[in-house]
Parts: sequence; C-alpha cells; structure tokens
Amino acid sequence: MSSIRIKAKERKGEVDVKCLMKHDMETGLRKDKSGKKIPEHWIQDVTAELNGKAVFSCAFNTSISKDPYLAFAFSGKKGDTLKVSWKDNTGATDSAETQIK
Amino acid sequence: MFKSLNLGVAAVALAVSGAVSAGPLGIGSTATPEMIAGWDIDIRPDGTGLPAGEGSVAEGEGLYEAKCASCHGLFGEGAGRWPVLAGGEGTLDTAHPEKTVGSYWPYASTLWDYIHRAMPYPAPQSLTDDEVYSISAYVLYLNDIVDDDFVANKETFAQVKMPNEPNFYIDDRPDVKNERCFKNCADPKSFKIVTTINGVTPTGHFKEDSGVAANHYQGNPSDANGGAAAPQKVAMSDAATAGKAVYDKACQACHNMGVAGAPKVGDVAGWTDRIKQGMATLNDHAINGYQGANGVMPAKGGNMSLSDDEVKNAVAYMVESSQ
Repeated sequence: MSSIRIKAKERKGEVDVKCLMKHDMETGLRKDKSGKKIPEHWIQDVTAELNGKAVFSCAFNTSISKDPYLAFAFSGKKGDTLKVSWKDNTGATDSAETQIK
Repeated sequence: MFKSLNLGVAAVALAVSGAVSAGPLGIGSTATPEMIAGWDIDIRPDGTGLPAGEGSVAEGEGLYEAKCASCHGLFGEGAGRWPVLAGGEGTLDTAHPEKTVGSYWPYASTLWDYIHRAMPYPAPQSLTDDEVYSISAYVLYLNDIVDDDFVANKETFAQVKMPNEPNFYIDDRPDVKNERCFKNCADPKSFKIVTTINGVTPTGHFKEDSGVAANHYQGNPSDANGGAAAPQKVAMSDAATAGKAVYDKACQACHNMGVAGAPKVGDVAGWTDRIKQGMATLNDHAINGYQGANGVMPAKGGNMSLSDDEVKNAVAYMVESSQ
C-alpha cells in the first residue's frame, strides 16, 4: 500500500487536492533512548503531475512534521489522473495516483 | 421534542405494567424480549451482536467525508484536538504515544459498537447498520488494516485482526498474599528500616526513644558526619528543655537537615568548633544573624516574633543535643 493518500475533487473548475504522506520526517537532531542520534530521514521534494505534466512541486525540510499533510489547488477537470510523488534525503521515493472526482 | 418522546415512553411503560406486575410489591414489569433487544446493542470481540447488513470501503469513503471528516480529518488525522483515528503505529512505548484505532485498539468490533452507539457526535444512533459497516470498513482502510476492496459484513468484520491485539493480555501477576506466620517466623526484633525517603515518610508513629525517628532525620549514625545521637536521650538543662519547643517551631526546618549550611542538631563534629566560641557568641549569632563561611544564619532564624530568651533556649537545646 502506498505511503500517500490523495483526495482530489473538482468544483467550479478548481481541483482541490489534499494528501497525507506517511513518513518519519526525522530531523537528525533527536536522540534515541541510548543517547545515539537518530539519523536524518525526511522528504526533500514533493511533486504533483497532472496527466504526466507537473502542476505543483515543493521543497520540504526538517521543520515539516511527521506524516505531513499537504493541500493545494489548481485549475483542472474531473477524470484527469493526478500523481503525487515524494523523494527523501536517502533517495527513497514513493508515489500514488488518483482520478480527480 | 424530547418531552413528547418521554411522555410516549411513559405511556407505553404504564400500559405494560398495568398488564403485568411482578415482585412482592407489585411494581415494575418483566422486560419483554423486544425491550431487552432495544438495550442489548453491544458487540463482542468475536463478533457476537453484529447485525445483518454490509458496507464497503468505497461506500464508507463518501459517508466518512460527509459525517466524520469534519472532526476526525479526511485521513483520520484528527482536526484540531478531535480524536485521531489513524496512524501512530509504533508510538505506544515512546514519550508521546498516539493511541488510534490502528495503533492501539485490540478489537475491530469496538469500532462498530462505538460508531453505532455514539457517532456522529451531534446525532448518535442516527446511522443505519449498513452505514455503520461502511464507515467501520473505511476507518480500518485508513489504518491500512483492510484493502480498498474490503466489504464488511457479519462474517468478514468478525475476522478482522487488529495489529495491537497481541499486546493485550490478562494480568498475570499474582494476588498479594499476606499469610499469617505461625512457626519458624522471623524475629520482629531483627527487623530494621533499611531506607526511607527523607521528608516523605511520616515519622510521628515511631516510638519515642527508639532512635528510628532521629536516624530517619539525621542520617545513619555511622555516616561521615560523625554520627547523630538521638536528642531525646541527653539529659538537658531547663533552658534546653524549654528551647525544644522553640527549636521545633522555628529552627528545625534548617538545623534538622543541614539546609543552607546550617549545622545539624546531633552532628557532634559540626558543632564542636562552634561550641568552643562560647554561648555568648552563639547566642549573638542566633539573635542578630550571622554570615559564616559555610552559610548564613538569619536573625532569630527569620522568625522575629521570638524573644531573645526563647532564641537562647533554642540554642541551648541545640548545643546540648550536639555535644
């Protein structure tokens, strides 16, 4: 199951997108119980593509909370395919697709 | 609306009790199976109590967004301070445990029971059985416990296993046993207090002259301070005896424990050099205050309502208890 959940709804020509990404978003500054630093692990880039064309992108950093929630809007129509993907500092990526309702 | 509803219920109750009266007082009535069924809405972990009907994750999504998401969040993340429904896996043993349906709840049946019984918050018990199945299925889906094609009904719902269920167990600690000893018992005289927490353990119930209370306050007799003698054991002058009451009232807050560098009563080593200065000096320091190398003695211990004689008596008590 993807780490991203997306809801995309069109209303009056505007597509309202809300998504939740499951991610630890470790800053690299916290310590575990034995006093060792927990290694950095955070999402760097988030991109949204509409039918393969980028419509939204943003750079996250360590001040974003665990399991980030992201909402944005753009002009679009029902039935298009929206793909949201992220890439974190370890190079890992994940993505999810949904049909705009 | 509620008033008329209550009147309606009362009328039904009267009609029934008129027909059947039970018990020696002839009041009340035997509940009919229909009455019991109205109250018997709980769902057990094994699925007992689940009604017929079914609902899918897909149906639940729309219902959830319409009836639940305004408080619990679109993804179960919780709006504001409303309860979070999803996420929080692996946080239970951390400093900030997040108890959600997925991370904490042991049984899925509770979901059905609770939604049916109490949700939505402004209109509890307004959902049909199918709607409760749908929303329950969707909340499970939000927690990644079921797939998006899951359809909940009496059979499938009872089979859902929650991730945190194994961490619940029947308390396996034994009951506290306090069996009375009749033979080969330990000698009570050999019992001794090994440790106490200073200032927390009440000492008033200890016997006078047992030394227990004094040790409790003044440390172990064999410690580095040179030992502490129980003040009560020393034969004292009249002034010192009179000074004990003053000491208990005004001085012991510091001189009992050695707060702020105060010499502890009973600490012979700490008092020897001080006593050598003579009572006049000690009395002067106690009455007028004194700044020493180790700490400060406020004038009259900060209690200006004491007379000079009372302070002198207290000094005599402390000196005679500490030599």
